[in-house]
Amino acid sequence: MNGCLDYQMTRRSMLGLSSATMLGMPIAQMLARAGETQKAKAEHVILFWCSGGMSHIDTWDPKPGRPVAGEFSPINTSAEGVQISSIFPQLAKQMHHAALIRSIAGTNGAHGRASYQLQTSYNQSANLIHPGIGSIVAHEKDRLGDLPSFITISGNARRAGYLGQRCEAYYVGRPGEKDPYLAFPSDITQVRGNKRLDILAKMNLRNVRGLDAGKAKAVDTATREAVNLMRSPALKAFELKGEDPKTVARYGDTPFGRGALLARRLVETGVRFVQVNRGGFDTHNNNFPAMQNHGDVMDPALASLISDLAASGKLAKTLVLVLSEFGRTPRINTNAGRDHHARCFSCFVAGGGIRGGQVIGESDKDAMLPAERPVNPHDLHASLCHALGIDAAKEVKTPLGRPMRLINEGAKPVMELFG
Amino acid sequence: MKRTIFCLLKLSLAAVFCGVIPVGAAPAKVDQLVSQKNAETKKPLKRAGQIDDLTFLRRATVDVIGRIPTSAEVARFQKWPAATRRAKLIDALLTDARFADRWTVFFSDLLRVRSNATGGNAFLAYLHKSLEANRPWDVMAREMLSANGSAGKVPAVGLILGEDVDSMAMAAATSQMFLGVRMQCAQCHNHPTDVWRQRQFYELATYFGKTRRVENQFSQRVYTTEGQETNVLWPPERRKPKVRNAVEPKFPFELEEFAETPSHIKRFEAKRTAEAKALAGGVKGQGLEDLLEGVDTTKAFNSETGFGKSVTEEAKAATAALDIEGDLYRQSKQRAELAQMVTSPRNRYFARNMANRMWAELIGRGFYEPVDDFQDLLTHHKALAYLADEFIASGYDLKALIRLIMTSETYSLAHLDPTMPLADRLAAEENFTAAITRRMVSEVLYDSIVAAGHLTEYKWPAGANRRTYTERVRVVDGPVEGGAPTPLPVASPGTLNMMAPRMGGGGYDLEGQIALNFDELLKNELQKDLAAMKMMSDAELAAQQQRQMMAQQNASGPRMRYKYVEVERTVDDNPRFGSTMRMATPAPPAHFLRVFGQPARDSLANIREHIPSMRQQLMMLNGKATHEAARVGPMEPMYQYLGGEKQNVREAIQLAYMEILTRQPSAAELTFAREVVGSGKPALAGMADLRWALLNSNEFRYIP
Repeated sequence: MNGCLDYQMTRRSMLGLSSATMLGMPIAQMLARAGETQKAKAEHVILFWCSGGMSHIDTWDPKPGRPVAGEFSPINTSAEGVQISSIFPQLAKQMHHAALIRSIAGTNGAHGRASYQLQTSYNQSANLIHPGIGSIVAHEKDRLGDLPSFITISGNARRAGYLGQRCEAYYVGRPGEKDPYLAFPSDITQVRGNKRLDILAKMNLRNVRGLDAGKAKAVDTATREAVNLMRSPALKAFELKGEDPKTVARYGDTPFGRGALLARRLVETGVRFVQVNRGGFDTHNNNFPAMQNHGDVMDPALASLISDLAASGKLAKTLVLVLSEFGRTPRINTNAGRDHHARCFSCFVAGGGIRGGQVIGESDKDAMLPAERPVNPHDLHASLCHALGIDAAKEVKTPLGRPMRLINEGAKPVMELFG
Repeated sequence: MKRTIFCLLKLSLAAVFCGVIPVGAAPAKVDQLVSQKNAETKKPLKRAGQIDDLTFLRRATVDVIGRIPTSAEVARFQKWPAATRRAKLIDALLTDARFADRWTVFFSDLLRVRSNATGGNAFLAYLHKSLEANRPWDVMAREMLSANGSAGKVPAVGLILGEDVDSMAMAAATSQMFLGVRMQCAQCHNHPTDVWRQRQFYELATYFGKTRRVENQFSQRVYTTEGQETNVLWPPERRKPKVRNAVEPKFPFELEEFAETPSHIKRFEAKRTAEAKALAGGVKGQGLEDLLEGVDTTKAFNSETGFGKSVTEEAKAATAALDIEGDLYRQSKQRAELAQMVTSPRNRYFARNMANRMWAELIGRGFYEPVDDFQDLLTHHKALAYLADEFIASGYDLKALIRLIMTSETYSLAHLDPTMPLADRLAAEENFTAAITRRMVSEVLYDSIVAAGHLTEYKWPAGANRRTYTERVRVVDGPVEGGAPTPLPVASPGTLNMMAPRMGGGGYDLEGQIALNFDELLKNELQKDLAAMKMMSDAELAAQQQRQMMAQQNASGPRMRYKYVEVERTVDDNPRFGSTMRMATPAPPAHFLRVFGQPARDSLANIREHIPSMRQQLMMLNGKATHEAARVGPMEPMYQYLGGEKQNVREAIQLAYMEILTRQPSAAELTFAREVVGSGKPALAGMADLRWALLNSNEFRYIP
């Protein structure tokens, strides 16, 4: 079974299961895929979703000496020959763990359509809602431990689409703050709360009005799951209070830093996919102070996360991505801002068995278009699946009975990442 | 012409005042047709008995007005004579103010209403107003299918704006929403399992092919109007044809031809003619078609005056300053024709679709399932045909249809013994000889918790619940030395609070509700900034903050350093809860309503889910609404039994069962509840425990 929280065999999940056999797959292909699965190294994903369109020139693809360069100068990193923007001084020291892709060739210049594509691998269509990559991972990978498979922090993730409510992300509003839904209300003691659960269980045994036993049982199962989670030692992962204050400070004591720290703790507890959201990248005006501020906040968080994961050995099993829906224009507009630019942008990838210290693809002299090795946005999703051993070509049936590939047709993993 | 419009307004209101809802022999007939079919089954079906009066009260109240009955409503019901109280109840419910609230939820699911779509909130208000006035379904459908005009100003245009004024999307929506047929697959290829050809889909789509979405670049106002050419071309683009030609419109559904007009159509025509005559003061010379035509194709709907001013007049007034010519909002003759065919009493699909959807909503299962995918494999063919015919004959009166179903014996069937073999139970449910266990939809569940817990009014005196909690906020920590000007706004304690309104602290944001004012939404649209009414997601809030930050750029001083500090806040936690049926809709993704299955409505395939989940249980077990509903406040009726020196535990328990489950406790339950209440210190705490468990019980959320 999959990692989505599933309580009953629905028509939908049955269709999903049967589709693999119904559609049939040549044996050789199946074996090839099985081989892929064995090679997979990643078990978890941490996605830093930067919404608004993060400037690529001011982050991963600096263009020193060009009129488009802007206010930041490039700095050397721990990866030989790789330079990034000066807004990331700490992260620069971790770049031997990371790869940069500098030639993503997007096609959508509007926020809605582009974020849809960058999170689902599909273009938006009027006909159906494609699941976000986090929901796909939750659907395909077994749940480990008590915590939900897919958690989103400080914002909403892309929806589960045709995979259904059960594969939606578990939402954490403010990292480090108590989630009131994971414990009895503050004026209800443990003893009293447990007594209440006991009363409820006894009450449900009487079925005075003769309700459907199957449906009642599904609710009881969900209650057991909920109580199990409420009592789980794994919940400690949500509490940053137990962390050394120095660690919290090291990540930068900001919502983003706490989000990154929480993501690390969740992954260590078995969560498959953690998405940390950060908005405010739509820098049409005053791009540079805004990006400096993003750097101030993100740099300590990302650097600490990578180095901590590396130190604990968890990095090899955890794919870390920093991604946005598109980049921003090389041209600096009259408001000292940069506008939407989808045709060429970059992303940051680390861990999960990828080879660090490399740059894949290259943009032209002004980072206007890919100059070498253009990467289609959906290739990123194929790469993620490859890293996790998920069959990107697997077909799942939608509620309307339409067979859909998990990842868009034609998507190919960026194999250089793994070389 | 003016008189016609006046008549039409009255026509739509007539159903409420004139008691035109058919009663009597009809419900028995549908039961008879269901039984007649069931008699043909080889293995005899198990048949459940009829529910008792209180169960009927709960079932009907939940279904029609979207929450459980209050004690006052129970008392009122019990005072009515036993022989007529069920019929009387249905009358009362259908005229209750909450009727429109609850059924707006149903129609919002059906029509994919989204507050944050262009014209979305006005569309929501339009549906609410239409249901309040019990406007005929065919009239509403014609308006939605044929309207052109400005978002908000012509609220029915919300449907087509919600589909991005995309002709293909509108073809799929028209067939699925109004006719219960999924043609969507035929957009890209001949339907794999059905009869629809891709060409037919294109012929339907081309009715919408000339409609254009226009956005005024100065005022940002969005409207729809008609262009010259259709954008639907054949062959399809993906075949990479050398030449593509405009597709001529052709309605793919067959309209029935009769040698002799059947009685339901005669009744329909007679009814409409009579209504028109009565309201026109006996003026002759206007045919039925004249009356129906032009309902909204040329007129703007206004909440106060109905179909009053023409769109053109309004457009002129609205855009006088911009000197745009008067035919800004050209109407579509093609779409008006389509709307006539879709809603024709000779189009079997239209009436059958609504009859089946309504039956499914009230009984728990449609004659065909899923309800948006008609298959000619009906078991109870005649029963559905009968319901559809009666719906037509009533003049597409939605309340009449609801009444017809609710007064049937089928509606008041009990559940079968849950220990009965599953196969027997399923066979009975599939053939409508036993009640199907239905869960309250999320809005109804929430509103029922609020009703059961007396949460619409304060139940605590001011200051009784002072609570202190800590919150992390960002504050200025002084200027950065030598730093460049800062882009950040000066934050003060409370900034975070503003970003996400909380329910009295503690982070229970996911149960919040902010009511929309439907009347306001249909008034003064030009002045009103609908965007302000949109429910914002966290990401949107973050983006907004970013924009504000940018706006403050020029005024910024030295670059500031920030730190996060924990501050203590004291609040008087004495919440009152509103109805979730008046919120911007759908709610944000992690909200209670969404967790309990409210669909995002972002695609046609997006239907309500009723599957239990861990997250739902966390919100019920630990949520603010259930907790507050369970606590006994001094200003609610329960307090008199347990709050003072003299305690009446028995009556307290009986009240709790009546308020929460709409029934008396059994002897065994009473004994058990006495233990629970008695073990509480004080007894009020024990009662809170009992009420918490009742609210969380399966019996509470599943309709009896």
